[in-house]
Amino acid sequence: MSFIKQLSRGLIKENPTFVIVLGMCPTLAVTTSVINALGMGFAATFVLICSNAIISLIKDITPSKIRIPVYVVVIAAFVSVVDMVMAAYVPALHKSLGLFIPLIVVNCIILGRAEAFASKNNVIMSIADGIGMGLGFTLSLSLVATVREIIGAGTWLGMRVTPLTYDPALIAILAPGAFITLGFLMALMNMLKEKK
Amino acid sequence: MKYYLKLGLILFIFCVVATGILAYVNSLTAPVIAQRKATEEKQAREALIPNAEFEEKESDQGLTYFVAKDPETAEILGYTFIAADLGYSSTVQTMVGVDSGFKVLGIRIVDQGETPGLGANCTLPAFTNQFAGLAVEDIYVNKDGGVVVALSGATITSRCIANSLREGIIDVQDEPEQGGEQ
Repeated sequence: MSFIKQLSRGLIKENPTFVIVLGMCPTLAVTTSVINALGMGFAATFVLICSNAIISLIKDITPSKIRIPVYVVVIAAFVSVVDMVMAAYVPALHKSLGLFIPLIVVNCIILGRAEAFASKNNVIMSIADGIGMGLGFTLSLSLVATVREIIGAGTWLGMRVTPLTYDPALIAILAPGAFITLGFLMALMNMLKEKK
Repeated sequence: MKYYLKLGLILFIFCVVATGILAYVNSLTAPVIAQRKATEEKQAREALIPNAEFEEKESDQGLTYFVAKDPETAEILGYTFIAADLGYSSTVQTMVGVDSGFKVLGIRIVDQGETPGLGANCTLPAFTNQFAGLAVEDIYVNKDGGVVVALSGATITSRCIANSLREGIIDVQDEPEQGGEQ
């Protein structure tokens, strides 16, 4: 299988949020605005690519019985390193993404891909999978956030898109709005899939 | 038995390597982060009270505050400190500057994790600007008889900010070298 083909699988066909239904916590929690969704998406993509590469490299020296704790240690250590380095050297980026970095440790997409893909494939393919899954995650987060931000705040990426007479329906950016939006979007995805 | 010991040992080695890497990275980055934080706070203080020299002090209540003095005449221009109190869903930290008569010069929300669209609106200038010029006795939300217009749907957040500011200012006022009575 080619690099590009593996990369494209994560975007639509095996989209982590809508198809594999992984990483629901961040999907529900950070999609109150598009900028948050993009921040979380890119931070997770970066960690996913690197953790996939490292786990693929150490797959031959990891006994299968203790592979999960080993993955958890690798991912947690990696996320902490990224957090500290960003805080020290790129403070502007850390300010906008900083909130999401500790959340990535518990993002099950990372562990899920380590277990389901990186532990069975070579480094190049694992990186492709990391990029694809990461971008697919970013895409679906932005989609949920777009709906919630426009309905709930009347803005998109912080710019006003609705007429001033529109009174934003706050429920969309509160917790119930996350569940409602996700449900409708998932139903829409399934409808489109069945039509094919 | 031996097999399980071996597994444990391998996991232990992984953890030791990971801890070693983390300790090394932390030793490199911790001083840089601490310095950056200090610079940022200094800039925030200078934005509230420009052209002043700051002196760090601690009140009897354990509040760290800064006395702003004119660098030439050593006249006290005002005070700044970070007031913190529990809001609706997070601790709201507010940096505040007051002049020598303890009237608010300006406030800035430094850190908060309140409800998006409701309490989180406390960072907007429309809310923070109304504190400028207020004296201690005015800093109550309108529901409590003050002049601070609470955010709609977020009275708890607004009240927490107003109360933490007021208590902080009173705390600094009561310091002996500021002429307060003990």
